[in-house]
Amino acid sequence: MLAMDGSLIIPGLMNPTATAAPSKITVPYVNLPLQMRRVKAEVLSAIERVLESGTYILGPEVQEFEKRFAEYCGTKFAVGLNSGMDALFLVLKSMGIGPGDEVITVPNSFIASAACIAQLGAKPVFVDVREDLNLDPALLEKAITPRTKAILPVHLTGRPADMKPILEVAARRNLPVVEDAAQAVGATYHGKRVGSFGLAGCFSLHPLKNLHAFGDAGAVTTNDEKLHQHLLKLRNHGLRNRDECEFWGFNSRLDTIQAAALIVKLQHLEEWTEERRRLAHEYNTALQDVVGVPVEGANTRHVYQTYVILAERRDELQQHLRSRGVDAKIHYPVSLFQQEAAQSLACRNEDVPVAATLGKRILSLPLFPEMTREQVQTVIDGVRSFYRP
Amino acid sequence: MKVKSPNRKAARKTTPEKLRIPYNYLDRQYWLADVEHIWKGMRELVRTGDFTIGAPVLEFEKRLAKFVGTKHALGTNTGTSALILALKGLGVGPGDEVITQTNTFYATVGAIVAVGARPVFADVDGQYQIDPASVERAITSKTRAVLPVHWTGFPVDMEPILDLAKRKNLLVVEDACAALGASRDGRSVGSWGHAAAFSYHPLKQLNAWGDGGTIVTNDDRLIEWLRLYRNHGMVNRDEIAIWGINERLQSIQAVVLNGMIDALPKAIRRRMEIADRIEKGLADVPEVVIPRRPRGVVHAYQIYVIRVRRREELRKYLEAEGVDTRVHYPIPLHLQKAARDLGYKSGDFPVAERQAKEILTLPLNQYLSNAEVDYMVDRIRRFYQR
Repeated sequence: MLAMDGSLIIPGLMNPTATAAPSKITVPYVNLPLQMRRVKAEVLSAIERVLESGTYILGPEVQEFEKRFAEYCGTKFAVGLNSGMDALFLVLKSMGIGPGDEVITVPNSFIASAACIAQLGAKPVFVDVREDLNLDPALLEKAITPRTKAILPVHLTGRPADMKPILEVAARRNLPVVEDAAQAVGATYHGKRVGSFGLAGCFSLHPLKNLHAFGDAGAVTTNDEKLHQHLLKLRNHGLRNRDECEFWGFNSRLDTIQAAALIVKLQHLEEWTEERRRLAHEYNTALQDVVGVPVEGANTRHVYQTYVILAERRDELQQHLRSRGVDAKIHYPVSLFQQEAAQSLACRNEDVPVAATLGKRILSLPLFPEMTREQVQTVIDGVRSFYRP
Repeated sequence: MKVKSPNRKAARKTTPEKLRIPYNYLDRQYWLADVEHIWKGMRELVRTGDFTIGAPVLEFEKRLAKFVGTKHALGTNTGTSALILALKGLGVGPGDEVITQTNTFYATVGAIVAVGARPVFADVDGQYQIDPASVERAITSKTRAVLPVHWTGFPVDMEPILDLAKRKNLLVVEDACAALGASRDGRSVGSWGHAAAFSYHPLKQLNAWGDGGTIVTNDDRLIEWLRLYRNHGMVNRDEIAIWGINERLQSIQAVVLNGMIDALPKAIRRRMEIADRIEKGLADVPEVVIPRRPRGVVHAYQIYVIRVRRREELRKYLEAEGVDTRVHYPIPLHLQKAARDLGYKSGDFPVAERQAKEILTLPLNQYLSNAEVDYMVDRIRRFYQR
C-alpha cells in the first residue's frame, strides 16, 4: 500500500506518524488534483500533440523544456532526467566521485541527498544546520578532509542555503559545489536563482514539488559545457549517436509527455509561487507569536515548497491539528542521519546537535495555492488554539 | 481526432505506386489503437493524483506476472533499470564477471557496468542468439552470471544455458527487454532465469508512452528487497532500511500498459504472419538470408532482422523508394569505444562481426497492411533484379 508521497506502508508495522484517533481530514496536506484542474486542458492538449507525433523518447518538447528551464534558472544549459535522485547521482558520477571519496551534505534532508553519494560507494559527511534548516557555513571548513570531493548544500523546503559563505569556503579549498535544489525551484539568493551557483543544480520535478510532472521527473542545470555534453550521453546509454557508444551509460530520460506538461506548468510557476508565498506570509503573521515561523534570509526568496514551523510539544500539536481535521506532516520524524541505512556513518546526535533538536520540533503545515479561506483559517486556528486555548 | 493512415488509400490500388513505410509507427498506433479507455484511465489518474506507484502500477504488475508465468513482477522506470535491479538484487557486483552477447543493445552491458561487474562477451548463432559453446569458453573463476538476451524478440533456447549455469554454479538473468510475448513450446520468456527484465520502450511490441520496464522473478526474498530498493529503501514513509534508488514504473505509463497488454498476443500473431509473408516473398532471392523460425517458437519480432548482400546500397535504394530501414547494430559492442578497456579486437567474435555487416531491420509492426508488406518485398526483389 502506498502513501501519496510514494512511501511504502507495510500494514501492521508501527508507523510513528500514525495518530490514535482518526478524524475526518478537511485540510489535506496537499491536493494535487485541484492544481491539475487549473491547467488540465492545456496539459492534455500538449500531451496529445506528442502522442500524435509518436516521438515519446527525447522528442522536441524535451529540448524545448530544457531550454526554457535553463532560461528560468539563469543557466546556459539544462538536462531533463528521470528523477531528482538521478539528477544528483548522475552529476556526482560525472564528477568521477566514487569509493574512498567524501561528499559533504546535511543530516536533515530527504534520503536522496545522502543515498546518491552512498550509491557511488562514497561517504556522505554531515555538517550541522542552523535554524533555517540549511547547512551552517561556519561549520563547513572543519568538515573538509583530504578525501572530500564535493560540497552538496540543500535548499531545504524551498529556502535557499546561504550560498555566499559556502562558495567562499569551496573556492578557498578548491572544491566543486553541487546544489541539491530538489525542493527549491524558483527560489532566489541575492537575486540569482538556485541551481545557478555551483557546478550544477539538481532539481526534482516529482508530483509534490512546486513545479511538477505527473510522475517522476528531474533536471540538472549547469553552465559547464563539458558536464552538459557528458550528461546528454550519460542519460542515454553513453551514446554519441545511435551506432556509437562512447562509454557505458544509464537510461534516465525525461519522458516527452512529461516535458510537454512541464512546459505548460512552467508558464504558471511564478504565479503559483507567489500564491504560496502570500499564504506563507499569512501564516507567518498569524502564528509568529506561538511557534517558530520560517524566517526568510535577507535578499532571498523562499518558495515554500514545504511550510515548516518549529513547535514546542510538536507531537501533541500534530495530534491536536489532526483532531481538527488538519493533516500536518513531519519532514522527517526520523532524520536522515538516524536512519538504519546511515548506521555505518556513525553520525550521533552530538555531532549534529541543531539538526537533532530541530528534528523534534519541525512540523509541516498544509500549504497549497488552491486552499480555501476556511481551510487556511482552520489551520491557523488549529495551531493558535493549541498554545492559547 | 483520428486521421486515416495516408498509405491505406494508396495501398488499395492494385499497381504499387510509391508508398511511404516509416520505421516509427507510433503515430499510426495512436490513430488506430483504442486509446479512449487509456485516456479515461489518464483522466482518472489526474483526478486522484495517484502518481507514485499508484493503483495502475500494482494492477499492471499482477497482470504481467500472470502473462509471463512468474510469481512476482515489479514495475521499473526502464528496461535498463530492471536489468540493473536484477543483477544488483542477486548480489552481482565488483569483482564479478557477467557473460552476455556482443550483438545486443548497449543497455545490456550498461547494466553490468552499473553494478560494478565486468562485462564478458560471447558470440552468437544464426538466429542472432547467444551461443552456449562461446559462453562456456568465456567462463573464468570470476564469472558470476550469464545474461542471455532474447534478441530481436526471439525466445532463446534456454536449456543449454541453464545446464551450463547449473554445472558451473552461475546465476542466469534473462534480458527479455525485446521479447515480451515470445515463447518456446508454450513457455514464456522471462520464466527461466533467476530473474528477467522487460522493457516497454515505445518501439517495443508492448509499449508505454515513454520509458517503462519490469523485473520478474519467482524469488520471494529478491522481490522484497527490490520493492524497498527501487523506492528509496523506504519501509514506510519515515523509515529507510537501506540506501535505495528511485526507479519506479510511472502510474501514467502503467495506465497505458494496462490498456495495451490484452492486445499483445494478437499483435504478435500479426507480426508472425507478416514475417512469414516476407519470408515467402523473398524465399528465392539468394542475396537475402532469413533465419527460419523453429517449430514451437512464438517470435515477438520486436525488430525484424534479415541478412543481405550489399546492405548499404540496398538501404539507400529502399529509402529512395519510401521504405525506412535500420541496422541493429553496425558495430558490435566489443568493438565500441566504450569497450576499449575490455581488451577485445576484431576477429574475436566472427559470427557477430560478419552479421553486423549484413543485418538489416525492415519496418515490421502489427499496423502494416499486406499491401505495404508486399510493396517492401517487391522493392527488395527489384533491387536484386528478381
